[in-house]
Amino acid sequence: MASLLYRGLQIRPLLIYPSPLLFTKKAGVFCCTSKCLQTQSLTQDKPQSQAKISTRNQDKGLDKILQHYETIIGIETHVQLSTLTKAFCGCAYNYGAQPNTNICPVCMGLPGALPVLNSKVIEFAVKLGLALNCKLSLNSKFDRKQYFYPDLPKGYQISQFDIPIASNGYIDLDLPVELGGGHRRFGITRVHMEEDAGKLLHSEGGSHSEVDLNRAGVPLLEIVSEPDMRNGIEAAEYGAELQRLVRYLGVSNGNMQEGSLRCDVNISIRPIGQSEFGTKVEIKNLNSFSSISRAIDYEIVRQAEFHSQGLSDQIVQETRLWDEGAQKTVTMRKKEALSDYRYFPEPDLPEVILTEEYVASIRDSLPELPEMKRRRYEQMGLSMQAVLFLANDVNVADFFDSTLAKGADAKLAANWIMGDIAAYMKNEKASVSDIKLTPSELAELIDSIKSGMISGKIGKEILFELIAKGGTVKGLIKAKNLVQITDPAEIEKIIDNVLAANPKQVEQYRGGKTKLQGFFAGQVMKESKGKANPGLLNKILLEKLNAKS
Amino acid sequence: MAIGTLITLRAGATLWTRSSSRTLNFASSFVHRRDKRNISIKSSSFDPPDVGRLAETARISLTPQEVEEFGPKIQQVVEWFGQLQAVDLDSVEPAIRSDIDGDNFREDVPRTFGNREAIIAGIPSYEEPYIKVPKVLNKE
Repeated sequence: MASLLYRGLQIRPLLIYPSPLLFTKKAGVFCCTSKCLQTQSLTQDKPQSQAKISTRNQDKGLDKILQHYETIIGIETHVQLSTLTKAFCGCAYNYGAQPNTNICPVCMGLPGALPVLNSKVIEFAVKLGLALNCKLSLNSKFDRKQYFYPDLPKGYQISQFDIPIASNGYIDLDLPVELGGGHRRFGITRVHMEEDAGKLLHSEGGSHSEVDLNRAGVPLLEIVSEPDMRNGIEAAEYGAELQRLVRYLGVSNGNMQEGSLRCDVNISIRPIGQSEFGTKVEIKNLNSFSSISRAIDYEIVRQAEFHSQGLSDQIVQETRLWDEGAQKTVTMRKKEALSDYRYFPEPDLPEVILTEEYVASIRDSLPELPEMKRRRYEQMGLSMQAVLFLANDVNVADFFDSTLAKGADAKLAANWIMGDIAAYMKNEKASVSDIKLTPSELAELIDSIKSGMISGKIGKEILFELIAKGGTVKGLIKAKNLVQITDPAEIEKIIDNVLAANPKQVEQYRGGKTKLQGFFAGQVMKESKGKANPGLLNKILLEKLNAKS
Repeated sequence: MAIGTLITLRAGATLWTRSSSRTLNFASSFVHRRDKRNISIKSSSFDPPDVGRLAETARISLTPQEVEEFGPKIQQVVEWFGQLQAVDLDSVEPAIRSDIDGDNFREDVPRTFGNREAIIAGIPSYEEPYIKVPKVLNKE
């Protein structure tokens, strides 16, 4: 059934007109920022981080630019949901499957097929909306966004236009310690549900293109941020925090490389003090968080060039692609006119109605979110570095929490996890779920060292075996006879042996070469197979060495 | 030509004040000639349709003659729907959708479509395993 429509430009919804049948046409530019002209950035600790950033970017001349210009950054993120089936049909979705195998008449857009919403999509949308502190629209709807493209089988994308399921939220995060640290809060304009398009590939030789519709119809959540970010570091960390969040919630695996997390950056600059926003440029094709940061830095420099020469009106409002190889943004072929998506309510789908009970039940089922974990860890007295490390991966955090639950000391557990355990995982490219060490054994290990049963050095050795092969601390201590020697008499015996075996060095020591203490200590350790208690060892050794002089 | 149900208005459109008491039925509005209508219009509330642009956005090719012919017809249909403007909505809570059926959901359980071969067979230019399309350079 063809629909007649008058021209309507695509706009970010600024107001919702009361009459249901009529949309007003606004001469609007794509502008999620126009709503936010009066938005105050809620950043704190700003001066400190600016100073740190300037040291990082000295060679790019960026700090000079940043003294004169303010950068306004907003990010649109698409999150591919990890539901078992697509949004509107029962097809499964498996990344990497043979092309055009997960298809059916609905997602292929064949005539007569009708969409039926996957209830999990709403559940995930509500979860994410709540986690982003948004207001939920208890009543929302789907709309058709119409355009023609080979990877869009129906000729329209089912999305949400003027009544998204969630809006007006915020996200809290901490900037990495090595990049200046600091707490930030960025606003979230909206979160809405929509479906993904298929994949378009270009053939060798360039005679034609190829379409794979496996991905068509996969559910997405689009998250639009307020233009609150002010530099590449903040933008990259925003992306990272969204990734952390969707993984914590279990709504997506958030892989930028796989395309299950896609970020498009909108950036403009303006001379400091100017109230008007500069021309906004969109950047696409960002495949990692570091690309986000570098693309923004590049674009700031590029736009500042125009401004500094008084040519700011020559900055084209356009979409640019980030060229990872050349490390620069490049123009996509310019569009002739603004896209006219002719949005209208999707007639084949009913209203999405959420009850308070439903929302409450989902809110109650939310896990501890990254921000809450970070604040809890901070209160334990852990360093910021440890806090950020432990809270970054929910599985690592769970491991840490389980270890604490067995009675281990927080700082010691954190050190082990951040140190030897993390090193192992990095070397072997293993995740925390792969290693054989269990939280209870880690707690046992910490306790054994604390109680003096084994030395710290032995502990490290056992740890490696526990991680790689599993087993229990007690078992290993017994099997390898690793109990620390704490009997002074026994240590004395070994020291006597060592001193007797090395008369020349003893002479030298008593002649003034006190550094040789280390040599003797090492020899005693070797004799004792590493089991001598280091503190006692050195105490008795010193006594013996200094006794006869 | 099938007709959709959506009407967009230019911002600040003048509302109809008096509509004709005669009811236009769907079929007659189609063949009805403009000059015979009795509807009083304060001013032209609707832009004449830009048929050329409409056709382009819908990817439908029209001859220049068809473009000229369709303009007034489309205008008529829109104005016929425009009678709704006369309804007083001041005390009506806006509805998001007009259906009464309510929720219709699916469980998140995979189901393989049983006749993929028929789908593939229906694709005019299929080069295993992809759908072959003309070279695409850029969106729209």
